[in-house]
Amino acid sequence: MKRLCRQMQRSLSFHRSAADNKIMSQFPTIFSITESEIDLNDLLARITLTSTGAAAIFTGMVRGITSRDDPHETEYLEYEAYVPMAEAKMKQVAEEIRTKWPVVEGIAIVQRIGKLYPKTPTVLIACTAAHRDTGVFDAARYGIDRLKEIVPVWKKEVSPDGAEWIEGDYIPKAGE
Amino acid sequence: MNHVKLLFFATIRDRAGVRSVELDVPADITVKDLKEKISADYPTLKDSLKSVLVAIDREYAFDEAIVPPNAEIAFFPPVSGG
Repeated sequence: MKRLCRQMQRSLSFHRSAADNKIMSQFPTIFSITESEIDLNDLLARITLTSTGAAAIFTGMVRGITSRDDPHETEYLEYEAYVPMAEAKMKQVAEEIRTKWPVVEGIAIVQRIGKLYPKTPTVLIACTAAHRDTGVFDAARYGIDRLKEIVPVWKKEVSPDGAEWIEGDYIPKAGE
Repeated sequence: MNHVKLLFFATIRDRAGVRSVELDVPADITVKDLKEKISADYPTLKDSLKSVLVAIDREYAFDEAIVPPNAEIAFFPPVSGG
């Protein structure tokens, strides 16, 4: 009987409805712009549920020496954000992840701003799920790619040759 | 006339020399017309405004959009976070 119930629950879970969306919204979602150090352990603990067995974590850091494309050195990056819109767009990225990968349990999206030196983590996207073969790696990858498209954050690169604003190349479409 | 607040970020802010400015605009002004008004007020922004992104009340907005009263309108280059 217990097994039957479990099977029913499993088959039901393939047909997500408004009620399921309500359940999904109870999953932890963290999104923030911060001037403080990114605390991976704390974030991971906050998106780990008793049903969680896997976390895919992407973190980007300041690269001091660039070899690819245009080789150069970086002294530091200075990040700025349009904070309220950036946090709203991070929330939107999390919602997009949940729509594409309903199996994702917790989501953390954090962007650090201010003056950041080589080797310092600047951004973190983490997604948790019950198992690693659920698409959780793709979900985290999608999160960082999307952040770089629509979240209003900019960085100025300061190198031995001077300072330069780095600009992206993505033009958001209506409704993004 | 409608009262609105403009915000400038990154290169746009550096070129404008200010972070934000408040002004009155005609009630039915579009984003396109507002860009032209800003080009006239801040000649240093003229080139950057050709490829600028615009957000009205924290949502991306495009040339044809009408600026609502008390809007917060942000002008910034394509984003480069991460």
